[in-house]
Amino acid sequence: MATERRMSTTWHGTLMEGAGTIHEAGSGAFGALDVSWASRAEASNGKTSPEELIAAAHSSCFAMALSHGLAQAGTPAERLDTSATVTFVPGEGITKIALSVRGSVPGIDAAAFVAAAEGAKVGCPVSKALAAVPEITLDAALA
Amino acid sequence: MPRIIREAEISWEGNVARGTGAISAASSSAFSGLPYTAATRIGIPEGKTSPEELLAAAHGGCFTMSLASELSKAGTPPERLDVRCVVTMDEVEGKGHQIVHSQIEAHGTVPDCDEAAFAQAAEAADASCPFSALIRASATVSVSATLSL
Repeated sequence: MATERRMSTTWHGTLMEGAGTIHEAGSGAFGALDVSWASRAEASNGKTSPEELIAAAHSSCFAMALSHGLAQAGTPAERLDTSATVTFVPGEGITKIALSVRGSVPGIDAAAFVAAAEGAKVGCPVSKALAAVPEITLDAALA
Repeated sequence: MPRIIREAEISWEGNVARGTGAISAASSSAFSGLPYTAATRIGIPEGKTSPEELLAAAHGGCFTMSLASELSKAGTPPERLDVRCVVTMDEVEGKGHQIVHSQIEAHGTVPDCDEAAFAQAAEAADASCPFSALIRASATVSVSATLSL
């Protein structure tokens, strides 16, 4: 069954001088978030940006896929800490995503953990949707 | 051009079926500790966000800024743009879960811009939005654009 998620954005004015709002999440999980070109391209000043939201989407999808892979292999995770760092070059696009994970996983060795993380990096739905990013790296280790 | 770097952090506890994760905006701190689970990702959200909702926010936000830029370049800067983005994930035979579609609906209040010029700007925004290009690796992207009265 297909799953849909919906978001809305309002923008006033030009790109450089205007400002926008990403409205409350369809799920209700977070309230309105302000966005602007300056806070996207320079210091964030407490404002999110499309690249930060992509980092959130990718690292959360990766964590869930890895948790699934580890459970299927008979070594469920106690805790996974993941991050995604997205690099954006205006005029060029998103050039790199660096995924990182530290895991507390009873009964697994380092090599098996890294292999499971590689599998999640390739197989999670957001990774597949972002497969055209020129460079996606992974730093995986047991905590 | 300068490189722009943004980071998010997740902590996940437990297995996928019963575990829970927490999503934080590490660069801006604009949001933190948003819970998410497998059940609420696939089924009813029950107040929890998901990777697909965050993708919809990212794509909608990115496209909106590109559209503001294209309209300004055309000499008709917008007064107001309202953009909705719906991201669909589905199970694809032999490939598991995939992001299959992102649907964008743009409404604009743009002085001195007619419907045809607005539609053209929306097409140009889809072409120049970095995220529109990327997500086509697994998804189709549809864009509709209409001027508000």
